[in-house]
Amino acid sequence: MSNKNNWIIAAIGFAVLIMVPFINQNPYYIHLIETIMIYSILLFGLDIVVGYTGQVSLGHSGLFGIGAYAVGVLFLKFSAPFWVIIPLGIAITAFFGAVLALPALRVSGPYLAMVTLAFGTIIQILINEMTFLTEGPLGIKISKPVIANYKLDDQSYYWVVCFFLAVALIVVHRILKSQLGRAFEALRGSPIASDCMGVSVYKYKVLAFVISAGFAGLAGSLYAYSEQYISPNTYNFELTVLFLLATIMGGRKTRTGSILGATIIVLLPKLLDDLQTFQTVSSGLAAIIFLGAVIGVARGRITIKSTLVPVIGTCALAAFSFVLTNITDWRLSIFGLMILFVVYYLQDGIIGFFKSALKRSHTTAAVDLSGTITAMSEGAHHSATNASPYILSAKNILMQFGGLKALNDVSLTIERSTIHGLIGPNGSGKSTMMNVLTGIYHPTDGQIDFEGKTIVGRTSSDIALSGIARTFQNVQLFGEMTALQNVLVGLHHTFKSNLLDIALNTQRCSSEEQLATQKALGLLEFVGLGDLAFEEARNLPYGRQRLLEIARALALDPQLLLLDEPAAGLTAPDIKELVNIIRKIKAYGITVILIEHHMDMVMSICDTVSVLDFGQKIAEGKPDEVQADPKVIEAYLGASAA
Amino acid sequence: MNFAGSTNSMQILLQLIYSGIALGMIYAVIAFGYQLTFATSDTLNFGQGDALMLGALVGLTLVDVMQIDYWLALPIVGVFGLIQGAFVERIGVRPAIKIKSEFGWIMSTIALGIIFKNVAENIWGRDDLPFPSPLPQSPLKLFGANILPMEILVVAGALLMMLAVEFFNRKTIYGKAVVATFNDRDAARLMGINTGLVITFSYALSSMSAAFAGMLIAPLTLTGATMGSVLGLKAFAVAIIGGLTSGMGIIIGGIILGIAETTTGFYISTGYKDVPGLVLLLLVLAVRPAGLFGKSAIKKV
Repeated sequence: MSNKNNWIIAAIGFAVLIMVPFINQNPYYIHLIETIMIYSILLFGLDIVVGYTGQVSLGHSGLFGIGAYAVGVLFLKFSAPFWVIIPLGIAITAFFGAVLALPALRVSGPYLAMVTLAFGTIIQILINEMTFLTEGPLGIKISKPVIANYKLDDQSYYWVVCFFLAVALIVVHRILKSQLGRAFEALRGSPIASDCMGVSVYKYKVLAFVISAGFAGLAGSLYAYSEQYISPNTYNFELTVLFLLATIMGGRKTRTGSILGATIIVLLPKLLDDLQTFQTVSSGLAAIIFLGAVIGVARGRITIKSTLVPVIGTCALAAFSFVLTNITDWRLSIFGLMILFVVYYLQDGIIGFFKSALKRSHTTAAVDLSGTITAMSEGAHHSATNASPYILSAKNILMQFGGLKALNDVSLTIERSTIHGLIGPNGSGKSTMMNVLTGIYHPTDGQIDFEGKTIVGRTSSDIALSGIARTFQNVQLFGEMTALQNVLVGLHHTFKSNLLDIALNTQRCSSEEQLATQKALGLLEFVGLGDLAFEEARNLPYGRQRLLEIARALALDPQLLLLDEPAAGLTAPDIKELVNIIRKIKAYGITVILIEHHMDMVMSICDTVSVLDFGQKIAEGKPDEVQADPKVIEAYLGASAA
Repeated sequence: MNFAGSTNSMQILLQLIYSGIALGMIYAVIAFGYQLTFATSDTLNFGQGDALMLGALVGLTLVDVMQIDYWLALPIVGVFGLIQGAFVERIGVRPAIKIKSEFGWIMSTIALGIIFKNVAENIWGRDDLPFPSPLPQSPLKLFGANILPMEILVVAGALLMMLAVEFFNRKTIYGKAVVATFNDRDAARLMGINTGLVITFSYALSSMSAAFAGMLIAPLTLTGATMGSVLGLKAFAVAIIGGLTSGMGIIIGGIILGIAETTTGFYISTGYKDVPGLVLLLLVLAVRPAGLFGKSAIKKV
């Protein structure tokens, strides 16, 4: 429903945009709107990196510059035609994006911010210095493109930009609602869980960055034709900060937010050119904030202390505006203040603010629920055609952290289609074992074979794809995504469609999506979460979150499932339900390793139990044997007084 | 003739190395500031370069306009740096730590940096200004090559400053609170250490060292509102090369980068002199993200 509405709104918006030159022929305004559209294209891309994957890129003005200079150089040196230059501009920028992303995305957070900043600086230096290619500080003059022997003028070029904005909007929308978009969002929600769902964090971060660079390239290319003159100083640090301001101010993870952000950063400098307008605006802002604070405090919603900073800040700004004689000199300070304000008081951006203010209920439609099937049937084929009775064997595992041996010479063999319990007191090395088996830790020494192939030294996502799924002791869901989307991330491995399929929304792409959605709904049904499919994971009660983790892990279609304390924090009836689910999983032929502290549960469902204490295996056998073992009793209750 | 030529070029190289070392020590001091705040709070000030710039410009006003002696101005600038750093922490970093937003402190320290730069532009103007040298301008001879007395002062001053802070951290009870916070913030808080104050203090120290570095480098170069940005960025490269936890690493890293820059500037083109540092940054991160001297952390699940 709302999806359709969005398209209608977008169509009306474009119709209005296309009409603009007929209504107002002032080239100044046309050029202004054109710039907003071009920035919007870049911000669509930047939002993929900042909004979806949650990384800070300070290199996007550099990428924008590469797009512009790709046009400049191709035009100047090769007089290439428009339809050759635009795709090349995108490709060249995406290539530079990859060159930056491959080393840079091995790190994240502040490191990434600094590295991308360094990249932007290098690009500006290179553009300045490589005069043989870029004409250096002199800049390059470019004339409007010729399409089919028709030389575009300002007005017709405006329509060309309209066209590209529409294409960019459609493509970015399709990417973000596809499995790629889900992967991007997932790796922000929980990188570790992404890796363990077979979605390689590194790979998808790089991909997100490269796609984002492609959009920056398109925007840069269009910008060069729009301005008809490019010089190195445009693509500086301030521009990059402005882009980030636009992304967060408009609102991340929305396209309307990007467009709004672009509008703000294009119009704001114009606004700041005029002192009087600025005085009016800043006084108005101070009045609004003051009123809001008074109302908020009166209603007891907020404390006086928390309103102090914004009230004083905006009042000071308003007072300052009347002292000033020249506003343009203080432009950057005002941008800086806006960033501070947005970062602390408007974290979800303007669009996010209005969304939460209007509190629209979550739309549930979009998928046909009637087609729900019990997807688990497929699991049955796992019941072993393989010769070996053991699915996994770990030999002499040593895991050392500095001087601490978290696992000391532990061997473990897991029999196919059984439930293998792993118990021991806190700190005995159970979770470390899980982390070793899923490639999060690389063992210091020892050998692990899964289905006859070693898994030591392989990445988590690689191991996950080979058939080992897991849940986490401290729940690692993708909080901002719905239960359904969480499971769909687990089904990521079933998607074969590539970027081109997604951009063109081919048959393969849509049928894959449909199939996966049905499977995911089936899995949710299986763990009893069928009616909560469209609820955001972070809003689910704790017990349900644990079940959702199991559904997500099953989506990997694993042969071996590792459950790390699935019953922790669950109520008695919930535990009963959980036991039933684990039994059903076993019935489908999936082998289970279960870490758990609820002894009655372990003893009732496990076929074999291994006991760890201080990183060593002290007992192994049938549940009742282990239970009677004096060493086990000692580990749990301490040595007897005798 | 040939022989004489090569002696000459050796002299030039040596001279480039001298000024490279002096420059490198400045990078090391700024990188040291990154280490201080990163140690206590896992955050760093993206406006560190601007803290240096403010130190230099405030120093210029003290020395040039108010006619205060350079040596007397030095501690005043230090105090100014302390206040400026504490301000950055209170306004930009503390709220972000509270809401656990990495994006928040990155953006707000950048924003504060921009504001400082812009304010400086409006107070001191957009042009670069000369800073009067407190020491004689005539070069000394060291191993046959010229070295400026000011360059010796930079190296000595930078080393002294870092040693003083290290001494403070290791020998005084306040310093031990800093080290405790560095080792385990939560445990330190449970032991009754006001970790918030420690973090503020680390920012104050970090900006103080940057302001101090600004006073040291100013007589060798020109001062101006834009002098900080690139310095801050390259110092980050040094912090990465040296590792965010290694004291020795940043000195070595700084010297490597300083020499790389002065030689690139001379033998290739001054336009390219910023490139080696930035490329080195990309390379080190590609090969060893924890830095050449740093230890990689164990992630917990």
